[in-house]
Amino acid sequence: MVFALTNTQENLWWGAVIGGFVVVLAVAALLTVLVLLVREIDRRVVEIRNTLQQAAANTSDTALIAETATSVDAVLAEGLEHHLFLGRVLGKVRS
Amino acid sequence: MTTTLIVLSVVDIGLLIAGLAVYLYIVGGQLNRVATNLEQCSELVGSIVRDAEVIEPGVERINRTGGVIAGALPLLYGMAEGIVTGATYEPAETSERGPAQPASGRRRSRLHDAVGYAPGKRAVAPVASQPEDEVTS
Repeated sequence: MVFALTNTQENLWWGAVIGGFVVVLAVAALLTVLVLLVREIDRRVVEIRNTLQQAAANTSDTALIAETATSVDAVLAEGLEHHLFLGRVLGKVRS
Repeated sequence: MTTTLIVLSVVDIGLLIAGLAVYLYIVGGQLNRVATNLEQCSELVGSIVRDAEVIEPGVERINRTGGVIAGALPLLYGMAEGIVTGATYEPAETSERGPAQPASGRRRSRLHDAVGYAPGKRAVAPVASQPEDEVTS
């Protein structure tokens, strides 16, 4: 089987081949940029994950705030007892 | 020449497909890692949100109770000052006391008697006329 190409067809084919190589190089360059960007995104996401782990560790003891509030309420109740006691004693001292 | 063109065309297409495959494989692996990390980040954010939900009501309760305590403390220490003032002993006004004296009065010294000295008394007899063993009392 013999292909008979005219000069124009052959030149066009050569042009297509050269253009294809250029496109391959351009695609390689763009995909390299994409890989680098995705690698940077991966690195930043790892940093974010580490920061979030530290934040989670820092906020893991917030359940103690409710217990602290309960303890402060107990302090208030004890203060009221002191108030009553001091009121009784003050009345006796003045009388 | 035509064969060369065919080979170059095949190489061109093969390079394009192979390059795309390699790069997509690399990017796919990276995106998988990113997805895994983002999933962990999502779980961590949920955990932080759950932990932070109890902060606001707890702190509001502490602030409210602390405000009540801070408002009641002046009343308490005012009452305590009143008790201290009322319970402090205040002695009656007394004159300046001198040095303490013994209840029996001033004790008479016997040293003068021991040597025969009696101030305010005159000796009526010479010392030589007294017996040797006599002791002035």
